[in-house]
Amino acid sequence: MPNTRPPRLHVDGAILGYQRGLRTQNNSVSLIKIKGVDSKDEVDFYLGKKVAFITKSETADKFGNKFRVNWGKVCRAHGSNGVVRCTFRRNLPPQAIGGKVRVMLYPSRV
Amino acid sequence: MPFSRYVEVGRVVLVNYGPETGKLATIIDIVDQNKCLIDGPEEITGVSRQVIPFTRIALTDFTVKIQRNARTKTLKKAWEEADTMNKWEASSWAKKLSAKKKRASLSDFGRFKAMVARKQKSEIISKKMTELGA
Amino acid sequence: MTATPRYYPAEDVKPAKAVHKVKQNPPRVRASITPGTVLILLAGRFRGKRVVCLKALESGLLLVSGPFKINGVPLRRVNQAYVIATSTKVDVSKVDVKSITDEHFSRTKDAAKDGEEEFFMGDAPKQAVVSDQRKADQKKVDDALTKAVSAVPMLEAYLAAQFTLSSGDKPHLMKF
Repeated sequence: MPNTRPPRLHVDGAILGYQRGLRTQNNSVSLIKIKGVDSKDEVDFYLGKKVAFITKSETADKFGNKFRVNWGKVCRAHGSNGVVRCTFRRNLPPQAIGGKVRVMLYPSRV
Repeated sequence: MPFSRYVEVGRVVLVNYGPETGKLATIIDIVDQNKCLIDGPEEITGVSRQVIPFTRIALTDFTVKIQRNARTKTLKKAWEEADTMNKWEASSWAKKLSAKKKRASLSDFGRFKAMVARKQKSEIISKKMTELGA
Repeated sequence: MTATPRYYPAEDVKPAKAVHKVKQNPPRVRASITPGTVLILLAGRFRGKRVVCLKALESGLLLVSGPFKINGVPLRRVNQAYVIATSTKVDVSKVDVKSITDEHFSRTKDAAKDGEEEFFMGDAPKQAVVSDQRKADQKKVDDALTKAVSAVPMLEAYLAAQFTLSSGDKPHLMKF
C-alpha cells in the first residue's frame, strides 16, 4: 500500500466556553464554534455529529495509546452565527476553553 | 486609466447581499450617501424596484443611458438597446461567478474529475515551461 | 348457546398459549442509499475509501465492496451512520448478491481447544485466515462489479482515490 496520509474526515471546532448567564454557567453544555459555519442554517448539517476532545497524556493505556478522547455530540445551535451547544460524556475542563475539538462527519445523514 | 466606475444614474450594479444575491440591477436614483434606488428591470434580471444600501451592491463597468427615475419600461428598452446582459455575460467577472457556481454544484465524482483535469493541465504547462527553458 | 361436548377430558389440558410474534422489520435505510450508490466510509479501518453499496442486509447494515481489486476494500458490512452517500451510482443490476446474507459474515468458531498445552498457548495471536468460501464470493461479486465500474470512464480511478477534506472545504455546503 502506498504511504498516504490518513484522510481528514472531521472539521475543527473551537471551544468558546460553557453555556452561561450573566452570573451562572452551565458546565454540562459547552459552546463550540465549528470552522466554516457562520449561520444557523448551516448548523443543521452538524446536528447529532460526534465531537472528540482529544488530550495527550503521559501514561499510555493498555494498548499503548497516549491519546485520550472525551466524546460528545452536537445538540443544537446556539444563537444564529454558527455556534453550537455540545454535551460531552465528561464535562470539558476549564483549561479546554480556547482549545480545539474535532467535529466528526458521523453519524451521517447524507 | 482614470477611475471611471462611478455611482451614477444608469450604472449597472451586481447585488451581493440578500435574496437578490448574484443578480444585476441598475441605479435609477440616488437616495442619499448610503442608499440608492435600483431596478432590474425585473423582466430581464429579476430584481424589482427597491431602495438598497451601497454596501449591498457592487458597481460594474457598464452603464445604460437613462434619465433619473426612469420608468421600468424605458429602462428595459435601454438595456435591450445597450445589449447589457450579453456584455455582462461576456465579461470575465461574470464568467468567474458562473464558474464558481458550477464548481459548487459539482458532486463528489465531479470534483474528482475536475481535480484530475487540473492535474493534467498543470502537467502540460510545466512540461512546456521546461521546454522553453524558463 | 353451544352444546356441551359429549367428551370431557378428565385431565385439564391447557390450551396452547397464543404466541405473540413480533415481526422485526429490517431497519430503514435512508433514501440516498440504494444498491449501486458510491459511498464514502467515514470511520474504521477503511475510512476515506469510496466503495459501492450492493444492498441492505436484514440487519440494516449495508453490504459494500471496494471492489477489492480497486481499492482494497473486501465484501464488508457497514453501518449507514458511518457513510456518506454520494450521488454517483454504479449499475449493479448484473451483480448477484442474493446468496450473501448476514450469516456469511458470522465468525467461525475456533476449533475446540483441547489439552492444557493449548490452554496456555491460547493467547498467542493467530493468523487470520480468509476462508475459501469468502474468497470465491468476493471474486464472483467483484468480477461483475468491476465490469460495471470499468464501463464508466474514470470511475475506477475515482473509487481507487481516497476521500479527504482539504483546507477550506465545508462539508455542510458540499454536494456529494
